[in-house]
Amino acid sequence: MSRYLNMSSLKILSLAALLTVSMGSGVAMAKDTVKDKGVGHYGYGKSATAEEIAGWDIDIRPDGRGLPAGSGSVEDGEMLYEDKCASCHGSFGEGVGKYPVLAGGQDTLTEERPEKTVGSFWAHTSTLYDYIRRAMPFPQPESLSDEETYAITAYVLYLNDLVEDDFVLSQETWDEVAKLPNNPNFVPDPRPDTHAKRCMSDCKKEVKIVSEPTISAEEVAAADDTVVKAAAGNEEGAGVYNGACAACHNLGVAGAPRLGDTAAWKARIAQGEETLIKHALEGFQGDAGMMPAKGGRMDLSDEDVTAAVKFMLVESK
Amino acid sequence: MRQLKVEETDRLLTEIAKSGEQLPAVERRQFLKNGLSMLGGAAALAAGGSAVAAGTAKYAPPNVPPWTKSLGAPVIADPYGVPSPFESDVVRRNVPWLTADRIASISFTPLADLKGIITPSGLVFERYHAGRPEIDPDEHHLMIHGMVDRPIILTMDDLMKFPSTSMIRFLECPANGGMEWRGAQMTKLQFTHGMLSCCEWTGVLLSTILEEVGVKKGANWILAEGADGSHMSRSIPMEKALDDALVVYAQNGEALRREQGYPIRLINPGWEGNTCIKWLRRLEIGDSPYYQREETSKYTDLMPDGKAREFTFVQEANSVVTSPSPEKPLKGKGKYWLEGLAWSGRGKVKAVDVSFDGGISWRKARLTGMVEPRALTRFGLEWDWDGSPALIQSRCIDETGYVQPTYTQLRAVRGSSSIYHKNAIHTWRLHADGSVTNVQVS
Ligand code: HEC
Ligand code: HEC
Repeated sequence: MSRYLNMSSLKILSLAALLTVSMGSGVAMAKDTVKDKGVGHYGYGKSATAEEIAGWDIDIRPDGRGLPAGSGSVEDGEMLYEDKCASCHGSFGEGVGKYPVLAGGQDTLTEERPEKTVGSFWAHTSTLYDYIRRAMPFPQPESLSDEETYAITAYVLYLNDLVEDDFVLSQETWDEVAKLPNNPNFVPDPRPDTHAKRCMSDCKKEVKIVSEPTISAEEVAAADDTVVKAAAGNEEGAGVYNGACAACHNLGVAGAPRLGDTAAWKARIAQGEETLIKHALEGFQGDAGMMPAKGGRMDLSDEDVTAAVKFMLVESK
Repeated sequence: MRQLKVEETDRLLTEIAKSGEQLPAVERRQFLKNGLSMLGGAAALAAGGSAVAAGTAKYAPPNVPPWTKSLGAPVIADPYGVPSPFESDVVRRNVPWLTADRIASISFTPLADLKGIITPSGLVFERYHAGRPEIDPDEHHLMIHGMVDRPIILTMDDLMKFPSTSMIRFLECPANGGMEWRGAQMTKLQFTHGMLSCCEWTGVLLSTILEEVGVKKGANWILAEGADGSHMSRSIPMEKALDDALVVYAQNGEALRREQGYPIRLINPGWEGNTCIKWLRRLEIGDSPYYQREETSKYTDLMPDGKAREFTFVQEANSVVTSPSPEKPLKGKGKYWLEGLAWSGRGKVKAVDVSFDGGISWRKARLTGMVEPRALTRFGLEWDWDGSPALIQSRCIDETGYVQPTYTQLRAVRGSSSIYHKNAIHTWRLHADGSVTNVQVS
């Protein structure tokens, strides 16, 4: 990937003007509360201590407010990213399957199919740290340490050619990368931006159909077939699978054999369905990794899990 | 083998247009099947009851049906009542080929089968980013802190003690209809407009809570955050918080449903559904917006010049005809009651017009029920179908005078890459055989 942007050009990015929001017109509505009751009028609840707040106050703001102590390097980030993120987002942030692309797409925003990534579209590095901290890795949110989050954030910046491979992210270096390249291109909401008139007759000369979903009668008939077959299979199992097992088994997260990967399933299937169901119900530590009992979803019934295993086996034979 | 794909809805929505063509044969057929089951007759999967076709009824007078000559089920046969089994196909649906993973995913409300303006709680569309958490209300807490005089933590019991307010308001995902920006794509009303619902919401005005904690000078924004695995988060301007934002604990008269954020969610009436944080756990009062992922990477509207609009909160005036529709084809010429839904995030619906010729001429429809601000509004009109093909449209005018735009008008300003806030006039093509399909017209 080309290093089209270096640190100095990052620094000269203009400061984003604080937005002005155009508000929807307020609707007058009866307020049940009498105004000016004053602070603490009800006195409900308990006052929040600094320690209680610290446990939940996870957001990071564009200027770095909220950043924890510590640091993380691109170098450390690489290993962590490979381990915890690459299975879904790809080793280069290119995105596996339909998982989000995290890098690339520069200069595509005006194209027919824009690719919006951290490097091409996002405005603030704080959003990246904040989001990884609150929501990633997808199956285990809030599992990363502050230092790991610094390192992975630095690495995603690196994947976007925004920092060098010796970069270390911390409160001290924050300002160097706080604003992402596309930062100046966000604008306030100017709506209403269409100004249609209420015409009642002779509003246009002619009408042409310009677009319809492309379908044919044969495809409809064929569609009926497929779904009947799928239903004769195991709808319920598919449902449980999607809800409880797909997070690992779709892409092989944590060493899970991937759905439909016949090679990975061959030896397992040879153990017999009963053993596989037992392993799914009770959990199983194999060479590839750890299959948690019921995929960690103890709320599922044995029947549900059994149906999911059966679905997986049909799909993976 | 079925290649399963994983949900990343917003990106996928933009790709639906091309994916339809790119799908492997099997998935494409499933997609078609889903969109077209109504055309192909009764859905093969929807086993169970469907109405007996007229003329074949066994128990029409003078015959007497068995339920009239026997005893029915006792009370509390269903301690919590459920719809008749004959309504079993009125359900939320997702687009299966779109998402293998239903954890970060969306389902759609079956608008064609609903009446009036209230969406039954079990049919309100779902949108999750980390699945639906199972929360014990005794263990749920709402923290309010930041630029306030009194940072506090409220339990559910605390919250229920505040003065209570109810309002009927729509809830719409800003990506509703987003698949149609580049061309007609989805084949059923459920999928063209089904990220839309309307409920009575009951809870505590956010302004009441803010007054209780005492907002400091200079505080202009509030970060709202959920307790689910995605910690869903959005920045809400103080003006909205003080206007009509509601911390909701009840929906349609009963506790909020889990899908909708049990035990509490935020409702910002008329605004993007995404701002109405579910499973609400934290409100941080601050001086400026927090620039969360859902207000930069997502829920910003990319314009043709490469600029992106941010904080595009309001859901502008919109409408759709619900019958006839692909799910509600006509059975021969004659008199029909055409009906549909209109709504505006800016206030009340003032009027709705209907066209049968693709927008050349228009007739005024009647608003047939309650007209509440920022709520679904039902419209209808009597119509004599002569059996010839028609291009049916509806157009909403709201109390600010805003007139719902055509696709041409909308695309002229915004191009077709903006994903969100597509509120163009929708067209149903009525064919001579009474079937209805989705089209876009010049
Ligand atoms: C099991 C698959 C999976 C793993 C592993 C995973 N992610 Fe994700 N990631 C997702 C999904 C799914 C989304 C979209 C979620 C949504 O839209 O709510 C996402 C979204 C993101 C986004 C936002 C993308 C955008 O364009 O808005 C970032 C950034 C991200 N992930 C980073 C990471 C990092 C860093 C890791 C490793 C620590 C990681 N992810 C691990 C599945 C995964
Ligand atoms: C957190 C990740 C994770 C989840 C969630 C998960 N699995 Fe697994 N699963 C694994 C891993 C890792 C293995 C491989 C273990 C090994 O062989 O080392 C595995 C293996 C299996 C096997 C093969 C066992 C064998 O003996 O070879 C079955 C069957 C299985 N999982 C079923 C399920 C079902 C059913 C679910 C959902 C209810 C599920 N898994 C959810 C991680 C997961």
